[in-house]
Amino acid sequence: MDQSAIEVRGLSVSYGAAPVLVDVDLTVPTGAGVCITGENGIGKSTLLRCIASLQRPDAGEIEIFGGPPGSTPEFWRAVATTVEPPTWYPGLTTREHAELVCRAHGLDAADAGIDEALERFGIASHADAVPPSMSSGQKQRLTLALALLRPSRLMILDEPEQRLDPDGRAQVAAMLAEYRDGGGTILMASHDDVFAAAAGTEVTGMAALVAG
Amino acid sequence: MTTAVGVTGVRRWVRRTQSAHRERGETLGNFYFAVLFVAIVGGMAHKQLAVVFWPAAPHASGLAGAGLALALTGGLYLVLRRLGPLALSRPAASWLLTAPVSRRRLLLPSLCWATVGAAAAGALGGFAILGHTTGRPVTGAAELLPAYGAVLGGGLLLLALGAQADRWWSARSDDAAYLLLAAGLAALVADSAGAAIPLSAGWPPATAALATVAGLAVLLVAFWLVAVRRLEGTPNERILEASRTAGTLADSAFGVEPSFVTEMVERRYWAHRRLRSRRLPARVPVLVGQDLLMVRRRPRRLLWLAGASTLPALLAHAPGWLLGAAVLAGGLLAGGVTTASVRTDAGNPWMLRMLGLSSRAAIVQRLWVPGVLTALWYAAALALLRALGDLPAGPWWALGLGLGPVGAVAAVRKARTGFVDNSLLPLDTPMGSVSTGPLIAAFAGVDILLLGLPTVVQIAQGDPLSWTGVVVQTAVAAFGARAYVSGTTATDRVELSGR
Repeated sequence: MDQSAIEVRGLSVSYGAAPVLVDVDLTVPTGAGVCITGENGIGKSTLLRCIASLQRPDAGEIEIFGGPPGSTPEFWRAVATTVEPPTWYPGLTTREHAELVCRAHGLDAADAGIDEALERFGIASHADAVPPSMSSGQKQRLTLALALLRPSRLMILDEPEQRLDPDGRAQVAAMLAEYRDGGGTILMASHDDVFAAAAGTEVTGMAALVAG
Repeated sequence: MTTAVGVTGVRRWVRRTQSAHRERGETLGNFYFAVLFVAIVGGMAHKQLAVVFWPAAPHASGLAGAGLALALTGGLYLVLRRLGPLALSRPAASWLLTAPVSRRRLLLPSLCWATVGAAAAGALGGFAILGHTTGRPVTGAAELLPAYGAVLGGGLLLLALGAQADRWWSARSDDAAYLLLAAGLAALVADSAGAAIPLSAGWPPATAALATVAGLAVLLVAFWLVAVRRLEGTPNERILEASRTAGTLADSAFGVEPSFVTEMVERRYWAHRRLRSRRLPARVPVLVGQDLLMVRRRPRRLLWLAGASTLPALLAHAPGWLLGAAVLAGGLLAGGVTTASVRTDAGNPWMLRMLGLSSRAAIVQRLWVPGVLTALWYAAALALLRALGDLPAGPWWALGLGLGPVGAVAAVRKARTGFVDNSLLPLDTPMGSVSTGPLIAAFAGVDILLLGLPTVVQIAQGDPLSWTGVVVQTAVAAFGARAYVSGTTATDRVELSGR
């Protein structure tokens, strides 16, 4: 059966009297990649937050793999997101964070390719550092590395190219394309069309999502 | 090209500009309320203060006096080090530290306040030792103890000042202060356990003591003046660090939010450590493995914890219920060694979402290591009290092991509290309104200790402990822990708090 990974119908969100999303529709087929673009403040992050169940919409329906988004462990095992700012456990190094995530998902730490992932993201030299001591770009890379290391069926990313240098952008885009080739679904917001294309996602403007 | 400007003029201008948007007489009003607060609290607590500083019948031995002196010296030094001792307000650190003003003049007021504070704290400590160890009326050289305390306080400030400017010296002197504190507490415990070490060699003649303290004071002033000359050499980053501490303490006090300080202490501890990634233990659940790694990384904290298991012996002569309550409260310390990760998850469940674990699985796993630590701590504390003869016969060690879940759940509940809820309605009492948010936050975790009530009753009654008593306490603790887990977590929710 060809089930959509994300199905959004008639989604509306407003902050006080200011409407941010009005009657938004979005369908992302399983295994597809969609990149939402649009100027700042148009509601890209709000839409991603609603889809990731981190914000309750005023109206509309959202289905993730045929069910409502929620805060269940099953939902979060299927969905990896970088929509919210990350937190780090005190006293745990970068590599240990990665190992913790892999172990929690039943992966063998030795076979999960942690060192390779840190190497590819250019943070291998910070494997023994505690994440708060790293730069914002390095933390962004670590966040993406963790999201890609663990198994998931859907990735929701808010401007993953942010704070990355040109080389880093190319590498992350290649890894996202690899993730999609492996059957994963990607929904992301970005300002960088080149990055979106390299990640193998289809660019959609926010304005195109408004029904009618 | 920059020109140095007078910092006094800049400060006067800042004060004048600030006062433009202040209400008339606001400073005077603040002063009035501060005086009123001290008068009211003093009036309410003067009897308790007298017990602490000037008991009617002093009975502390020379050993206890020496222990108190060592502990207060180490403690005061560590406090001064944590506060700076040189610090600027956050605005001054941002704007004046980087301005072309005289560094010495900028930092001098801070040094003066720190000197006065350290000397006052030292004098108060000397006064307390005097009050507890000497008979009435106080005569001779003993009268000069507060003066010695003040000079010692000033000396400690100068040592802390040197440590602020030099990282090598700061690490060594901190270690020495911790040793002094530990030695002082050990002496107090030994005294409480009845150790008879004759220390009293009698007081020296009053004139000799006066000459000594005067000489020390002159020496202190000389070193203080040298310190003033060297003020400009204090590194910027150490002043900024102290300013951030002062700012966080102020935020914490004004916002009634102790978690700011906890978070700062935790962050600084790890920021100064050099870690080497290790494999998480493979044979235990993943979060238990993480907690075991944290325990392994904090050997010094474990050492302090082991030492702290002797502290309840200080209350051997206090009422039984107080001794029982003190033992139970110790579990919060023992259980708190690894709960920083619970605080992280309670504040933002991003990692829990990344891990994909249910709140129940996470909390059950997070309870294991605190459970073992608190069980061992309770067992050690109660076994020691029994060995010292402060508790009647019985398997107290087993009771301690049975209490493990109580301390663990209390520590985890405290860590899960999160920010203080200041939006709750205040309680009107005859003594004024009391904010309920901070009150609830203060009692979070402590309330769980009520599960240890059978132990408190057992200690208060003073009867020999039977195995039935052990079984009852163990059952209550296990039932309470199970009820806590099933009542506050869910298998279909990742977040630690329900939405």
